[in-house]
Amino acid sequence: MAQILLDHVDLEFHVGAERHTTLQSAVRRGLGRHRVETRTVKALQDLNLSIRSGERVGLIGHNGAGKSTLLKVMAGIYPPQRGTVVTDGHVCPLFEFITGFEMEATGWENIRTRALLLGMAPKEIERKIESIGAFSNLGEFLDIPLRHYSSGMCVRLAFATSTAVDPQILLLDEVMAAGDAAFQETARLRMNELMERASIVVFATHSLDLLPRFCERTLLLRKGRIVADGPTNEVVDLYNHGAVTAPGAEATTES
Amino acid sequence: MNAETERTIRDVVKSLGLWHIWIRLGLQDVRLKFRRSAVGVAWIFVNLAVLVSSIGFIYANLLGQDTREFIPYLTIGMILWSYLTSSIVEGGNAFVHSEGYIRQISLPIYVYVLRYFVSISATALISMLAYVAVAIIYGVALGAGTLYAIPGLVMVMAASLLFITIFAHLNARFRDIAHLASVGMQVLFYVTPVIFPARLLRQRADLAYVVDYNPMYHLIEVVRRPLLTNGPAEFQSYVATGIVLIVLTIAASVVIGMNQRRIVYAL
Repeated sequence: MAQILLDHVDLEFHVGAERHTTLQSAVRRGLGRHRVETRTVKALQDLNLSIRSGERVGLIGHNGAGKSTLLKVMAGIYPPQRGTVVTDGHVCPLFEFITGFEMEATGWENIRTRALLLGMAPKEIERKIESIGAFSNLGEFLDIPLRHYSSGMCVRLAFATSTAVDPQILLLDEVMAAGDAAFQETARLRMNELMERASIVVFATHSLDLLPRFCERTLLLRKGRIVADGPTNEVVDLYNHGAVTAPGAEATTES
Repeated sequence: MNAETERTIRDVVKSLGLWHIWIRLGLQDVRLKFRRSAVGVAWIFVNLAVLVSSIGFIYANLLGQDTREFIPYLTIGMILWSYLTSSIVEGGNAFVHSEGYIRQISLPIYVYVLRYFVSISATALISMLAYVAVAIIYGVALGAGTLYAIPGLVMVMAASLLFITIFAHLNARFRDIAHLASVGMQVLFYVTPVIFPARLLRQRADLAYVVDYNPMYHLIEVVRRPLLTNGPAEFQSYVATGIVLIVLTIAASVVIGMNQRRIVYAL
C-alpha cells in the first residue's frame, strides 16, 4: 500500500551571498581574511504528516511557506536535517520543467532520457513513446535538437513525458500552468487521468477554486509549519479569511 | 553503522542496479558530444592523429628516439593520459551538469557518476582503436604477454570511476576544484613520461624519483608496458597502482560519507 510518513522533519537551508562556492574563498576565510554571512533559513519545522493510499491532498500557503520544499522532501530530493521520511510506492514528481533537458539531443531522445530517469522501464517507453510524442503536439520538431525549441515547447515535451508515467505517489507543484491556452485544456484532461491512476496525490497550488475538485483533504502551510490539516473546504475558508496573514502584511479582521 | 550510512550504501547499490539508465545515458552522451562536429565520433581519431604526428616526429628527433618505438609509445600514452584527465576534469562536472535532473527527479545521485563513467570510458575505448591502427602500422610485436594489459586496463578503469566519484562530489561543493585539478594535471603532464620515455629521466639519478613516485606514471604503465613490450609492466608499477587504488577508494568513501545525499543543497 502506498503511503507517505513524515516524522518530526526539520529542514534548513544555509544561504547567503557570501557562501563559499570556491576553494579559494574557503581558504581565505580559513586564513581569517574573509567574513562570511551565512543565514539559516528554516524551511520546514517539526513537520508530522501521514498520508495513506487513496488520499488526494492539497497543499496551500503563501509564497515561501514551504510547499515546494515539502514536496521535494516527500520526493526524496531534499533529505531533511532531522526527522524521518518514509515513502512507500513509486514516486512521480511533477515540478518545474525549466531544466532537465539535453539541448543537443532530439525531442525523441529527450523523451526517452526523461522517461528513463522518471523510472519507466525501457519496454514501457517504447510502447508509450508514440503517444507521448503525439500528445506533445510537436510534430516534426521531435526530430530536431532541443536547442531550437522555444521554452514553451520544452515544457510541453517534459509535461507529455512526465504525465505518461504510472505513478503510485504523484507530487504536483503548480504544474497546471504549463503551455498555451489550447494546450492547457488537453493538459487538464491528461492531468485528471494521471491523478486517477495514482494511489496518492499531493498537489501544491494557489488555485483555490480548483482544489475542492481534486482534493478532499488539504494542508495549510505557514512558515514551514502545518497550521491546518483537514477537509478542503474548511482549510480553504481558514486561508481566505486571513487567519493566516502573508508575512509582513497587516492582519485582516474581515474577509 | 548509523542510519545515514546505511541509506548511502543502499543508494549506491540501487544506483548500480539502475544500469539500464546510466549505460544508455552514458552512450548517448558520447554520441551527443560529436553530433555537431564535422566528422562526428571520428573527431576522436583526428584529434589524436594530429597530436601524435606533430609531437611524435618532432620529439622523436629532439630526444633521439626511433619513431618505430616512439610513435606507438606516444599514442597509447596520450590516450591513457587523456582518459585520466577527463575522469578528473569532466568527471568533476558530473553533478554540476546534471543539476536539472538532481533537483527535479529523485534518483540516487550515483547514477550520474556512473553515467559519466560510461561516457568517459567509452570515449577512451574508442580511442584505443587508434592505437590498434598505429600498432599495426608500426609492427608492434603482439603475443600472450600483451594480455597483461587487460588487468591493467581494469585497474585504470577502477581509478577512473574513483576519480569521477571524488571530483564530482568535491567540485559540486567548491566549483573551482575541477579547474584547479585541470591546471594540476597540465603541470603533471610535463613531468610524466608520456611525451618522453621514462629512461631519460631515470638515467639521471637525482631525478629518478619524479618517475618512481608519480602515480599517474604507474597507472599508465600497467596498460602501456604490456601493449608495447609483450610482457607485464614492472612489479613496482603494479604495487604503486594498487596503493593508488586503495587511497582513491578511501578518499571516495570519505567524500561520499561527508556529503551523504546533501549534494543537492550545494547545487
